[in-house]
Amino acid sequence: MSLSSLTKPWQPMSYGFLDASAKREIRRKMLKAVAVPGCQMPYASREVPMARGWGTGGLQVSLTLINPKTCVKVIDQGADDSVNAASIRRFLADVSGAPTTLDTLQADLIQSRHRIPEEKLAAHQTLVLQVPNPEPLRSVQPNMSIARQMHADADYGRMWLQLYEQIVRSGRVMQGASYPAMVNGRHVMTPSPIPRWDVPKLHMAQHLTILSAGREKRIFAVPPFTRVEPLVFDDVPYKVEDHGDLTCNRSGARGFFMNEIPLPDGSSTHEISDSDYGVKTIRARDGETVEMGATWYNNGQMEDAQ
Amino acid sequence: MAYVATRGGARAIEQAERLFRAEMGEIDPARVNEIRTAMPYLIDRVMGEASLYDEDIAALALAQTGGELYEAVLLLRAWRTTQPRLQVAQPVQQNALFTHRRISAAFKDIPGGQLLGPTLDYSHRILASDVLTGTPFVPVPVDAAAQPAPATQPSVAAWQAANDLVDLPEPDLTRPDDIPDITREPVLFPSKRAHTLQSLARADTGGTLALGYAAMRGYGKAHPTVNELRLAEAEVMVKHPKGTEFSAGRVKVSQAEVVSKSGEKLSLGFAATLGWNEVKCISAATLDLNSKGAAKGSATEEEFFLYHTEGVESSGFCIHFKLPHYVTFQSSLDAMRDANAKRQAQPQDQEPAE
Amino acid sequence: MQTHPQPSDLDTLANASFSALLTALSRPGQIQILPTAGEAGIIAALLDHECRVACADPRLLPQVMQTGALVAELPEADHVFLGKMTDPSQLDHVKTGSDLYPDAGATVVINVSLDTGPRLRLSGPGIDGTVTLCVDGLPDGFWSARDNLIRYPMGFDLFLQDGAQVMGLPRSTTVEVL
Repeated sequence: MSLSSLTKPWQPMSYGFLDASAKREIRRKMLKAVAVPGCQMPYASREVPMARGWGTGGLQVSLTLINPKTCVKVIDQGADDSVNAASIRRFLADVSGAPTTLDTLQADLIQSRHRIPEEKLAAHQTLVLQVPNPEPLRSVQPNMSIARQMHADADYGRMWLQLYEQIVRSGRVMQGASYPAMVNGRHVMTPSPIPRWDVPKLHMAQHLTILSAGREKRIFAVPPFTRVEPLVFDDVPYKVEDHGDLTCNRSGARGFFMNEIPLPDGSSTHEISDSDYGVKTIRARDGETVEMGATWYNNGQMEDAQ
Repeated sequence: MAYVATRGGARAIEQAERLFRAEMGEIDPARVNEIRTAMPYLIDRVMGEASLYDEDIAALALAQTGGELYEAVLLLRAWRTTQPRLQVAQPVQQNALFTHRRISAAFKDIPGGQLLGPTLDYSHRILASDVLTGTPFVPVPVDAAAQPAPATQPSVAAWQAANDLVDLPEPDLTRPDDIPDITREPVLFPSKRAHTLQSLARADTGGTLALGYAAMRGYGKAHPTVNELRLAEAEVMVKHPKGTEFSAGRVKVSQAEVVSKSGEKLSLGFAATLGWNEVKCISAATLDLNSKGAAKGSATEEEFFLYHTEGVESSGFCIHFKLPHYVTFQSSLDAMRDANAKRQAQPQDQEPAE
Repeated sequence: MQTHPQPSDLDTLANASFSALLTALSRPGQIQILPTAGEAGIIAALLDHECRVACADPRLLPQVMQTGALVAELPEADHVFLGKMTDPSQLDHVKTGSDLYPDAGATVVINVSLDTGPRLRLSGPGIDGTVTLCVDGLPDGFWSARDNLIRYPMGFDLFLQDGAQVMGLPRSTTVEVL
């Protein structure tokens, strides 16, 4: 045995940037995350060439899953052209040689920040959500060790109390994005800061979702066909954003999650948040043949899940 | 096509980076070399926070980031991620350190003597403004002492332990390969001792000072006395696969021991880091001294200070707020508008009394 | 960067094997195909010196040890290779983690025959309703032993392997013997 046998020939970078041991650790944790849906699994979370908080958790999962044939889509706020999505997409392609796409239907792997695409994901697709704060209990318990014990005990009383107090004070649950959900009837999970509009898309879905927080070093998952139930009281139903009747001023798409654009006259207009779906709508309108996937929402209404 | 998908995101970020780099111009070996030789304490700070000891690579990181310290540290940490781990070196013993500076505030004199070594502590902080008008600043040569100081020094805590003033921690006999490593596993709480010391060793200097200072001002229970502060060089002893032990080189290290009275005995706080960084070591040792029994959520509680002095994580999260958040913002707006609409629809007399 | 780094053969094996394992565990009851028959792919994808491995199958020991993994007894092992299993009481000592850290529950690989043997009905996360399938080659009492040992979210996760075929059974799956 010699010193050189301990290492491998020098190369500027491992395939997919992460070295083999980092990937193995993430693989082991991903399996555990799938085995206990919604439960936060700690992982080492190596530093990657992007700042913490900029998708490093999602990136590590994508780098582990990727191979030269994986077709990758990256979105931020629903848009492929958002600057950080462009940056992550370029990095993934550079270090893996994988093809990239803007089309949700073409993608094998979708890394996203804050949105789930409007077209339904299929069984062969994997959604990787970037997570800033993996702890749904943070607002009632900032100490991570205590919060962990609360999950172990399925002690969600303070979470329910917080929701109840909001209803008493404001007439509704005031949680915007990151709406907490019970997964597989056991673990309360943050779905990451996706809007309430997107949470039902995780419930009994066809696809696997991996959620990864790089800075906070936690990974969790929602396998296909897994119950994801937003925390609600029987008499105060879950309410998604009131976007079902809004129309996109650029594409004419109607009944999807929108970005509100303020106008100088004090009013506002709307633009569809899922940029690729907007593009497809325009192309179809202009007479191109475009493959439009089935959408979770139709006429602004989520189809009934099982 | 009426609608272009890529509205310039990819081009914009590329040009923005070019703009940043244009400021600094060409980076060549001479520049890297100049940074390394002219700014050893900056190099040390960056190497400590990066937990990567290589002066040339640290200098390159500083050159490449224009001295943006958090960026430099991140660059080094990310590079570190890609490096294979060949071996775990032998533990470094305090009394085997090649010591340049060792002082104690606890005693007027200590076994081995107070050894001032290199420091600006007693300098008058006056700018050498003549340099700017063309007169170079030439440091006055050092007059060598008649007797060189001993290369190694015993620890002050060892003397105190011999006098039954302090209980030293039990020697940790964990095999080097089994020592918990924060670069390979997450810190979980209560934290393993190795994790705590490793986290402090690569903590952000400013953040550690802020929380350590809070403890010193009275937000901690224990007031630190600097038992010993040491700047030294350590041999990195590794084992050749054939079995020969050899030094792979020396690294600069600093360490601080602080004590405070705790009943009949002294309690001890400790921190060490790569490179010479006195402020960080004293602050970190003060946090360590105060952590035992600290209230949950206080600045001296281990979970609190380890999380919040992690510079790569905290700086990354801070700047991530620059990223667009319009989806979450829209979601919140929707909830607010709906709640307001509900309130407006409510008859006035049903308003809850103040 | 001018050129993309290329995956080594080992990278490719580990990546494809993990893809099969992740899909298998996400969709209990659906058989996935590993790039090679046997445990080599699983070992390449998951094991290194950070793992403690119990190996009841002496064939595998050299492969396992080459990864740098520590060979351990069942109660300490995070990965367990049982080979062809004869005694269900081996399961008694498999790590199930804790409520605080369910991830400490072990990953267990067992050689079986898929598509023959007793019929099982599975339900739980990853399964659209229920799925019925056959698994042969497990000792009597295996399923009741598994059922008794899993205290969700504590438990262990199974990969049942038959040549290059692999099926995942996470602790979240309810198994009924028909």
